[in-house]
Amino acid sequence: MAEGKLISPDLDFVKKIVNSGGESLKKCYQCATCSVVCNMTPDDKPFPRKEMIQAQWGLKDKLFANPDIWLCHQCSDCTAFCPRGAKPGEVLGAIRKLSIEHYSFPRFLGRMVGDPKFLIFLLAIPVVLFGIIAPIVAQMIPPQYLEGSTPGNLFQAMTSTEPIVYAERFMPVPIIDTIFGLSALFAAFGFFLGITRYWKDLAGANGKPKGSIFSAGVATITEFLAHKKFKKCDVTVDRSQSHLFVFYGFVGLAITTTWAIFYLYGLHRPSPYPLYDPMKILGNASGIGLLLGISWVIGNRRRNAPKAGMGSYYDWLFISVVLTIVVSGLLSELLRLFGIAQLAYPVYFIHLTAIFFLFAYAPFSKMAHMVYRTTALVFAKSTGRDKEIA
Amino acid sequence: MADEKTGTPETGTILVVGGGISGITTALEAAEVGYEVFIVEKNPYLGGRVAQLNKYFPKLCPPTCGLEINFQRIKKNKLVKWFTLTEVEKISGGPGNYDVTLKQSPRHVNGNCTCCGKCGEACDVEVSNTFNFGMDKRKAAYLPHEMSFPQRYVIDPSIIGTASAQKCRDACPYNAVDLEEKAKTFTIKVASIVWATGWNPYDATKMTNLSFGKVGNLITNMMMERLAAVNGPTGGKIVRPSDGKAVNDIAFVQCAGSRDENHLAFCSYICCLASLKQTTYIREANPESKATIYYIDLRTPGRYEKFYKKVKADGNVSFVKGKVAKIEEDPATKDVIVTVEDTLSGKKIQSRHEMVVLATGMEPSTAQVKVPGNAKYDDNGFVVPAEILATGCVKKPSDVMSSGQTATGTALKAIQMVRR
Repeated sequence: MAEGKLISPDLDFVKKIVNSGGESLKKCYQCATCSVVCNMTPDDKPFPRKEMIQAQWGLKDKLFANPDIWLCHQCSDCTAFCPRGAKPGEVLGAIRKLSIEHYSFPRFLGRMVGDPKFLIFLLAIPVVLFGIIAPIVAQMIPPQYLEGSTPGNLFQAMTSTEPIVYAERFMPVPIIDTIFGLSALFAAFGFFLGITRYWKDLAGANGKPKGSIFSAGVATITEFLAHKKFKKCDVTVDRSQSHLFVFYGFVGLAITTTWAIFYLYGLHRPSPYPLYDPMKILGNASGIGLLLGISWVIGNRRRNAPKAGMGSYYDWLFISVVLTIVVSGLLSELLRLFGIAQLAYPVYFIHLTAIFFLFAYAPFSKMAHMVYRTTALVFAKSTGRDKEIA
Repeated sequence: MADEKTGTPETGTILVVGGGISGITTALEAAEVGYEVFIVEKNPYLGGRVAQLNKYFPKLCPPTCGLEINFQRIKKNKLVKWFTLTEVEKISGGPGNYDVTLKQSPRHVNGNCTCCGKCGEACDVEVSNTFNFGMDKRKAAYLPHEMSFPQRYVIDPSIIGTASAQKCRDACPYNAVDLEEKAKTFTIKVASIVWATGWNPYDATKMTNLSFGKVGNLITNMMMERLAAVNGPTGGKIVRPSDGKAVNDIAFVQCAGSRDENHLAFCSYICCLASLKQTTYIREANPESKATIYYIDLRTPGRYEKFYKKVKADGNVSFVKGKVAKIEEDPATKDVIVTVEDTLSGKKIQSRHEMVVLATGMEPSTAQVKVPGNAKYDDNGFVVPAEILATGCVKKPSDVMSSGQTATGTALKAIQMVRR
């Protein structure tokens, strides 16, 4: 007999995977079809076969401290060819979700975002914030700081006969900027703690990076810009296209936001801006791109479901938030242009709520994949685990 | 001992559908204790899949060995009546009282045939040889294989009505070729029915990632039996289909379609031993040869463990634990490149072999042709013995030995149904 190795399975962790969309986990019989059909895996210690047995045995630390779970792009080639319906793609998705939760700070929020029973509570925070607290605070702000706007609560705004100007009648800029500024800081802080701990675990388990982290970073970003890895998927190859739309939609909107901040604080030009303004054009184009992208994502997921599985609550929560943001955002603009106050203000309210959801919960939701995947790929490239240098 | 049931075909008692090793065994076991039996076989010969093997377990005999003695028993027993080229069209009635409609296709060769082979020599049309899985061609006037039972030629229906068929008839010195023969349908009465229609090799082209049909030197395990058989397309030489070169480095891909819910969800039982056996074919043919078996789990039921140990002791045979999920062809050398994760070392490897054998599994024949009567099937499409009995590989994947055992048991069940 070979020398024995005692493993202590973390059964709770196994249950968590099963409850996070990896319910097929235990069907795996380790044939390794998945590792062969995967176009993403390195040849040495390939995934996802080893992840499947590590997951069955509840070896949490091994799974989390290995960048491989993020080299996986959930093409679902493995799932389509799996002879047992064990859906390795879905199982790795569940492990990534638990990894995000594991490194998140504060961790209880990580657990809540991943669990449908806390959804109401998570939604209540922005609803109360924008529906009750913000209007009360706005009333208390001395008018000289509001540059002539007369904010009211949602009901007052809806019944107002004045032209629709969100910042004037409903949510003054200082309040919006304070809330989103703080939530962005909160998210950034959470991400910082998360990836610091994550990097430590990666280096602890796999050794310190040998190559330059900077060039690994450049290679990772270059790869992202063209979705080079994603395009290697076979079964769900269309996902790389739809994801690219969503990706550049977000990039465009991020640029638009920065641009708007410059208009507001640099040039002291208050919103709304005319439709022909280049910033506005970029914003609208990005919004439409994002709408197309996310609709395409939903379409692809539905079409690929028989082969790749339907995806988890965690996935769909994120998709729903993005869809809500883009639909409510575009509608806010249209309703404002058509002057339908009764609808415009509630839709704008939903828009704010959804953006808060995206920003404040970013380190806990699937949005965090952006940060952790980047970290894992930079690490993998700098250690030589991922040999592809763009 | 002998029952007084002597009957004519109209009052026959047991119908066995399928004239392979299971059907023959059931029929003979029942007939030899005095029951009249009909065997219905859709091929022009009896013997089924066993007839296509090179050697079979447990003793690695050639099929002549086991089949010949059974054919002798059939010939000597007046209670066994058999129909080749015949299929069951309809079953009505119930246990004890079935009416079965049979349809017999024309052989176009009558009992005068002496197997002189003149019609084959005269025939100028060649068709794909299904007995050898299309690896060679045969004349359209042919003996299915050299030990066919009955020893009688067949005229392929595709040439009927052509001048070629006429040439065959003119060449026959015994007036045995009957080009006018038509299909006939007739009804028999039986008390019990045993379904023993066996299995078909699972269609390997369905595993798209294994590229069967696109890679020249990629064959199935049943094709390998024909290649190794002395009456096969190469006279028993194991050579590559692409260039006829002797194979020195062969690989076997286990579970090619079996234990796979996208294909056959069950274990086909025989493939591991078949590959181990075929490893010995090539190792005995060429002492320098190498063989590699890629497997998920090696299953060696019963006493077959010993056989596995024997093959494993051979230094030129390697075993790799991991399922081959990708097969490609090297266009220059026509070598076959398999991709697999060796799960024991954790390395994804690409290996080159001169020829690769897919250990394809057993699909119950009822996946293609259902029982035209009141039959039950399990989740995998095998027939569950009920009012219509089932035996052999249409009931459960089995080797020849267990087919023989279960067929004997089924004979008893069929008799019980007759006497009820």
